[in-house]
Amino acid sequence: METSPRVACHVVDIADGRLDPAAAIEFVSDDAFGGIDVFIGRVRASSHGRECVAVHYDMFDPLALTVFQRTVAQALAKYGPKAKGYVAHAKGKLAVGDLAVVVAFGTPHRDEAFRGCRDIIEAVKHEAPIWKREHFVDGVTEWSEGCSLCGKEPESGDSPVADEAAPSPAQTMHAAFRALG
Amino acid sequence: MMITLQLFGRFREFSPSPEIALDLPGIATVGDFRAAFDDWAQSNWPGYRPALLQSAAIATDSSLLRANSPLPADGRLAVLPPVSGG
Repeated sequence: METSPRVACHVVDIADGRLDPAAAIEFVSDDAFGGIDVFIGRVRASSHGRECVAVHYDMFDPLALTVFQRTVAQALAKYGPKAKGYVAHAKGKLAVGDLAVVVAFGTPHRDEAFRGCRDIIEAVKHEAPIWKREHFVDGVTEWSEGCSLCGKEPESGDSPVADEAAPSPAQTMHAAFRALG
Repeated sequence: MMITLQLFGRFREFSPSPEIALDLPGIATVGDFRAAFDDWAQSNWPGYRPALLQSAAIATDSSLLRANSPLPADGRLAVLPPVSGG
């Protein structure tokens, strides 16, 4: 996939370092921009009412980076070619409070900044090959339920995922996991 | 065909290695692979249920693959259960 000076995408192993929101803001900053929106996702201390002590993120790095780059490129196309976008996602075992994902989107005006940032984080959550295993205070670990990528295959082999979301991926996922019992 | 399969998420529960080698004769498409792998997993992985594979996508390093896609020449595939990033 073509790289752009307006796009930055990273996978950061927690063993090697931590996500840096300041670096994200710096990347999407431009004297022509009046708006920068930043989304930070961090590990919280509870999940579905259970006390959580850590989350392990598993990731298929090459395809995840391809999805990040395509997603940011789509946001640039939608909200203005002069925009800039940044995605960084952590992998490995993160403690409560650690940053899991940072998305930043910079544009001349605030509305496009909000929208672009939102589009990107939703795609990261629903389309990128990333899996979350939650570690609970009682020692139990469980893979988090998620969104099935089935039905998001491209018509041809030149795109990492389909341009349009499959119908009700969350419903597909929930049905699948009900079947798993 | 020799397949090198990368395992992620819940699929990692079934193998100590994140990557397994499978000899699955007579397969040419991703759909063929799904059927053959499902048979193999039911025979070799206690606790495996077909619904897990039914909810999973099959991919290469760069793309998700449709059921009618030909298998890559190098036989390298990944099986991707439902995702939960962010």
